[in-house]
Amino acid sequence: MIAVALPSPGVLLAGAVTAAAVSLWLLLPRGRDSRPARWLGGLLGAAALAGFVLTGRRLGGLGEEAVFLIVSLVAVISGAATIVSRSPVYSAIWFALALAGVSGVLLVLGAQFLGVATIVVYAGAILVMFLFVLMLAQPAGLAPYDRVSNEPLLSAIAGATLLGLLTLSIGRLSADPSCCQMPSKAAAMAAGTAGTSVDAAHAGDAIDAAIATDPLAADQVARLGGELFGRHLLAVEAAGVLLLVALVGSIAVVSRHGDPSGELAPARRAAS
Amino acid sequence: MNQLALLQNALVVGAILFSLGLVGILTRRNLIVMFLSAELMLQGISVSLVAWSRYHGDFGGQVLVIFVLTVAACEAAVALVFVLQAFARTGRLDSAAWQSLRESNLPRRVDHELPAIDTVPPSFPRLTPAGVLPAADENDLLQREHV
Repeated sequence: MIAVALPSPGVLLAGAVTAAAVSLWLLLPRGRDSRPARWLGGLLGAAALAGFVLTGRRLGGLGEEAVFLIVSLVAVISGAATIVSRSPVYSAIWFALALAGVSGVLLVLGAQFLGVATIVVYAGAILVMFLFVLMLAQPAGLAPYDRVSNEPLLSAIAGATLLGLLTLSIGRLSADPSCCQMPSKAAAMAAGTAGTSVDAAHAGDAIDAAIATDPLAADQVARLGGELFGRHLLAVEAAGVLLLVALVGSIAVVSRHGDPSGELAPARRAAS
Repeated sequence: MNQLALLQNALVVGAILFSLGLVGILTRRNLIVMFLSAELMLQGISVSLVAWSRYHGDFGGQVLVIFVLTVAACEAAVALVFVLQAFARTGRLDSAAWQSLRESNLPRRVDHELPAIDTVPPSFPRLTPAGVLPAADENDLLQREHV
């Protein structure tokens, strides 16, 4: 634990939520905004982030903890910069950095395929499509509607309140140990302890099943593919039909008016 | 390694990303930034799902995130087509350009403190020229086939 005397978790969370709301309100485009206000907003946002970091739990391993902290800070700070940037092009670039952070979080969580797929599909295809559309449609200079927001104060309060409630309920997870058992490992352990009365082969099967579904195993990607094309084969087919419908539909909508932007289709195919 | 702590921290990261995306989609008026905010919310959901998948030790969450990726690709394709059509009609990426579609009993949104068009030229970094510019040979320039 941290040696410095911290305020109680409720006070800490309330302070973090308030700081997050005020900093978002100061950072969002509000028409006439000054540079000191944005600096103050940035400082308050850093304080809110520190509060949320302090409400989190220690992971245990120092290396993993440091890596998780860095990649999640990259994701969260870039995500905030995405929504407060005045220029939409900067928003898209910040979103690419947020994707890099999210991909790092997924890698720490052991989802190797998804970490790479997020970079390839999102940053490589979808984001490039966004940038193409921005270049096709962006007027010269900073548009007036990029420099004002719809109800920044109310929205910041709503978002910070939602965040506080979510963090509160996430922090409650540990208080109730019966809510979140790992089913496979719990079953394996139950079968292992009850091995005298139950068949020994059953216990072995259960432990094998627990090992087979371990997401940190070496052939994790192959197992994910097996799960995807085994249990969820019908959903994969439906997703394929969905991709085809989206492809045909968007081309049809674009080419009905003879719009010259039909060359977006190859990028879309690559995105899928 | 503390699995519960990892789950909680990842869930908090996902919640922060989701809330940021929510604030973005509520406040921003540029259609493309609104879609970027929606994608940010999807990223938060992905982080939460993968965290639960890791905690429970099965692949259900990861499979769901793969489908989220697929649907996000379709959504981006269709949505960008509509954004392009909207831009072709109004010449703006402003969501308030479509406020004639609002309910008839709602007031019209008027920008009271609309900032003036930014006349300050953007400041780009200037690179100091390195080396010496070679003297241009006019004959060579004329014979060039490609620019």
